[in-house]
Amino acid sequence: MISRRDLLTGAGLVGIAAALPSESFRARAAPAADYVIDIAPVTLELSPTHRLKTVAYNGQVPGPLLRFKENQAVTIRVNNRTDRPEVVHWHGLFIPPDVDGATEEGTPPIAPNSSALYAFVPRPAGFRWYHTHTMAMNDFTRAQYGGQHGFLMIEPASNPAPYDQEVFLALHDWRGHLLASDDGAMNPAYAVATINARVLGSCEPLRVKQGQRILLHVLNSSPTEVHWIALAGHALQVVALDGNPVPNPRTVQMIRLAPAERVCVMVEMNNPGVWILGEVRKHVQALGMGMVVEYAGRDGAPQWDQPPELRWSYEQFAAAADPAAAAAPAHLIPLVIESRFRGHGSMEAWTINGRSYPDGGVTNLTQGARYRLQFINKSIDDHPLHLHRHSFELRRLGLTLDAGAAGPNGDIHGVVKDVVLVDAHTTAEVEFTANNPGATLFHCHQQNHMDLGFMMLFGYV
Amino acid sequence: MSDAPDLPGVATPAAARRPGGTVSCATCRRGELRLVSLLAAVLAPPVHAQTNYEIQVYGADTVPPETLMVELHSNFTVDGQKYMEDGLYPTNHQEHETIELTEGLNDWSEVGFYIFTSEQDGHGVQWVGDHIRPRIRVPDSWGWPVGVSLSTEIGFQRSAYSTDTWTWEIRPIIDKSIGRWYFAINPALERTLHGPDVNQGLGFAPSAKIGYDFTKVVSGGVEWYADYGAIGNISPVHTQQQQVFVVADLNVSPLWEINLGVGIGATGATDHLIVKAILGRRFDWGRHTPVD
Repeated sequence: MISRRDLLTGAGLVGIAAALPSESFRARAAPAADYVIDIAPVTLELSPTHRLKTVAYNGQVPGPLLRFKENQAVTIRVNNRTDRPEVVHWHGLFIPPDVDGATEEGTPPIAPNSSALYAFVPRPAGFRWYHTHTMAMNDFTRAQYGGQHGFLMIEPASNPAPYDQEVFLALHDWRGHLLASDDGAMNPAYAVATINARVLGSCEPLRVKQGQRILLHVLNSSPTEVHWIALAGHALQVVALDGNPVPNPRTVQMIRLAPAERVCVMVEMNNPGVWILGEVRKHVQALGMGMVVEYAGRDGAPQWDQPPELRWSYEQFAAAADPAAAAAPAHLIPLVIESRFRGHGSMEAWTINGRSYPDGGVTNLTQGARYRLQFINKSIDDHPLHLHRHSFELRRLGLTLDAGAAGPNGDIHGVVKDVVLVDAHTTAEVEFTANNPGATLFHCHQQNHMDLGFMMLFGYV
Repeated sequence: MSDAPDLPGVATPAAARRPGGTVSCATCRRGELRLVSLLAAVLAPPVHAQTNYEIQVYGADTVPPETLMVELHSNFTVDGQKYMEDGLYPTNHQEHETIELTEGLNDWSEVGFYIFTSEQDGHGVQWVGDHIRPRIRVPDSWGWPVGVSLSTEIGFQRSAYSTDTWTWEIRPIIDKSIGRWYFAINPALERTLHGPDVNQGLGFAPSAKIGYDFTKVVSGGVEWYADYGAIGNISPVHTQQQQVFVVADLNVSPLWEINLGVGIGATGATDHLIVKAILGRRFDWGRHTPVD
């Protein structure tokens, strides 16, 4: 198997060339596809004073919104018009590993100036996304740092959501640089923060009408940063997390999104004016993360109501306790997360159960079995943990590090996700069913963490 | 080791004034020796002076805004000049205590303030002088591959301790962390504003540091402090200041700074053995909620 490190360093390219299903652009007669994505360099204007060169999908950031019908086969041709291998991950879909878009699972990389055809049956319905799954290491212009991402909506057979306008928003951080942090190591910090790759005040406002119901699909595509979003003057009703409907929709003042998380919120436009939708934290909004929401017939300077504190929890969206869940305990898989110091001038390396990827090998599962992943986060960082090709159900959050022996009392139910933010020095538990055979990657979705070993593979047939 | 007056009228070489720090001259002197000193300066090679008030190679980082850094620099001369010479008090077993207060102004600037003191048998604790040190740096957002900042320092020291009572320094600072290694260089330029060296021009007093992180907490390294005298009129080697310190930095907390070192002088103009310690504590006095 070719590692992501091999991909980006170029090592191993000779060896894998013969195995690539991708085709050179010179070898035409490629089969037709439902969609085409070109990966190519682009100059991006975040604002009149912020331009940067990056690589994007179809020349835009976010990439084109792809709407697929659930359970209806689709083909996407991806043309890699760059000088580096690429791979596109279809985040949140239950699809086979050879098209999931992680080379660790066996998806072939797309060689430079070649193309590949992704063919799969998209499921489950909901708000997903697609993005590059390459490595960046210390180059903060590449991989997820560079903004290669797009929205992916898997339409259900019938859409019951009664909304008047549907809006897709991607949060992103740009121009990363290494900065010494309080944990004694270097971490990325950013000079610009955007919504849909535009700095606050640099794009057309979101125009709404009084009485409308706006469905916001918010994605945090940041390579490393958690973001907090509020719409001044309005409450947000959370209806789905990571594209999956929550059992207990709640109205909140703000939403929190870890990297790769998605939150779908319904907003009643019942407070005419000109408002800011943006990052709650002042210093991040000052970097540009915000957009103007303008009611019809209203003008003037956009207003912002500064919330006094940050408030969020997954548990508030959970269902009432499900007694049946405790009757069939899942197989417990403890995963101890630790960092490894590499000097004050470096980012830390990461281990799961003492091993950095790929040293840990493959953890074998049994198809059809139920597993409880127990994340024991001994580090001082919060981690957005992502399981490929599966969803998991949140069970327990915010436990102490030694809470592994505790019983199931206090479990939460009904919140289904594919990314969970595990707080520093806490234990969290999620459950999933091994019902999608094949290599399955698990990793922290912080680009610098996954680049430095925070990954592991599950496998079952 | 010889010791010599650092008095008005004495052409004390710049090399003898600032071991890698912000403190110039600072030697206790007696006015009645000024004439003798003047003659010595004219007729004799440059001489060295007591110097070690702040012994530190600066990193490029600045203190964050709404934050006060309080540091105590304690420097003890274990083996220095043992006898009075030319009216100078011996440096041997002399203790210098310097309080440094640094306030962050914004993400790329700070201002520091120094209170220099000296303690010696028979003299007790004496106030030596004060300096102020604004500093700016290249913001992180510029993404430069090395840390770069520019410090300037101006200050007064009592004539009893320094012939040059007003001095000015400009100190470029460049540093870089690479893995476990740390590199810093401070090619400082000095100028006397009031005192006998006022016509000497710019002096060149570089310092540098190489460090290595043995663990997350313990780093070790070597610091070098030199003073070559006036640019265009470099001092002879034996009157240059050349000091090398073996140091340890203890990174016990983001709030604390601990630096310990033992230094030796490599020229006749430098004290033979000095022990130094820096103990710093950061105080966040602003409002620092997650929202802010």
